[in-house]
Amino acid sequence: MTISRSDVAPPGALAQRPDAPAISATAVSKHYGRVAALDRLTLDVRAGEVLGLLGPNGSGKTTFMRLLAGYLLPSSGGLAVAGLDVVSESLAVRRRIGYVPESAPLYPHMRVGEFLAFMARLRGLPEREIEAAVGRVVDRLALSAVLDKPTRTLSRGYRQRTALAQALIHDPDILILDEPTNGLDPRQIIEMRELIRSLAGRHTVLMSSHILSEVQKTTDRVALLLNGRLLGVRAIADTPDLEAWFLSLT
Amino acid sequence: MRTLRILFAKELSAILTSPIGYTVAAVFLLVLGYTFSLTLFATKVANLQYIFHQMYVLSILLVPVLTMRSFAEERRSETLELLLTAPVREVSIVLAKYAATLTLVLAMFAGSLVYAAILDRYGEPDWGPIYAGYLALALHASLLVAVGLLMSSLTENQVVAAALSIGTFLMLWFADSVSYLLVPPFDSVAINLSLIGHFKPMVSGSVFLSDIGYYVSASMLALFLTAWGLAQR
Repeated sequence: MTISRSDVAPPGALAQRPDAPAISATAVSKHYGRVAALDRLTLDVRAGEVLGLLGPNGSGKTTFMRLLAGYLLPSSGGLAVAGLDVVSESLAVRRRIGYVPESAPLYPHMRVGEFLAFMARLRGLPEREIEAAVGRVVDRLALSAVLDKPTRTLSRGYRQRTALAQALIHDPDILILDEPTNGLDPRQIIEMRELIRSLAGRHTVLMSSHILSEVQKTTDRVALLLNGRLLGVRAIADTPDLEAWFLSLT
Repeated sequence: MRTLRILFAKELSAILTSPIGYTVAAVFLLVLGYTFSLTLFATKVANLQYIFHQMYVLSILLVPVLTMRSFAEERRSETLELLLTAPVREVSIVLAKYAATLTLVLAMFAGSLVYAAILDRYGEPDWGPIYAGYLALALHASLLVAVGLLMSSLTENQVVAAALSIGTFLMLWFADSVSYLLVPPFDSVAINLSLIGHFKPMVSGSVFLSDIGYYVSASMLALFLTAWGLAQR
């Protein structure tokens, strides 16, 4: 029933060309009827970098991320993750990514540890590795205090961290984070920023935000989207005044 | 298969930790016990045909309450996004929800076995129609759950999902009545779509392959459409 070809090899078994971008979009469009949520977007994300998608609400950031995560299918264009086509090799792509939707959804009837174990199983981790995988992300995201709490009782900060933990549970190559600092208080924002920075190198991170300062402090490069179109891509190091660049293009 | 097992366990735990399943089961068994007692005292006949018809009607009203949240709630809370971006086939998600909900409905139906035991203890029931009746109820439940899931997959509003399910079940129930208004061959189609038309012979003890085929094929069609709908995104 899925569009993917078949069951494929587990994470890590599929070698990626060393020079291949971690994410490659070529003239990708997504239409809802006559409305273009994404319009011929072409963008490469390099392996190991943190790339920020910047743009106001409705600019196409979430649509692009949902296309990469396999939640939506593109109307046209080519989209590859780790060298794999997101349409024809959808299951393989989904094994290689960790995805955190904007609302950080969790199952309310599960406890945090139970939820993480469920997501680990769903992502194909062998039963013998699940306890260790849960322990690893719990330590990394400081979730031990809430491990036995029902997810419905979590604060926004813990919700966000739990959602990030489920995305990291299978140690994916690529992380897709939709507005990861949304709704967090200033301390939590700083912690989340440091966490994302610590993931760079080992993981390729694509994150979205509509807050200029967040993108500036967290990412290596920034791609500016408006009305579904890519207006430009710049390295943060080459863009000391991100605000001026943003205003010049929008 | 492992994925299906994992998803089935998750669905079953969602059902068992929600008050909806317990409430529906309690209402179902309460009404059934009341009806059974009344029927037995009034007729003094050791058969379950009347009870099977009660279960048929009650399940049409109550199964939508169980299925309404399956996809609608996941869509509303956006957890469906988690499932559909995990390396899981849509058909596994649908089958897990179907199997978990059907398990609960069959467990509810199993509660009525106590009436068969009472009849056996104090009378001499004809077991043929009782076996056939339970087969009919299981097939009926399968169809209701499958169609209920399909309706739930179309919306993120649980009430809308339940209303769509009940509406569809009632239309299927009375489909044969419409046949009087139709010309051949459409009248035959309407008759063959009728829920009650396939249920009645079985609870009387007459098991036809055509009736079983109706339930099985309608259930499979609804499950296929649900999985297909999920894949269209």
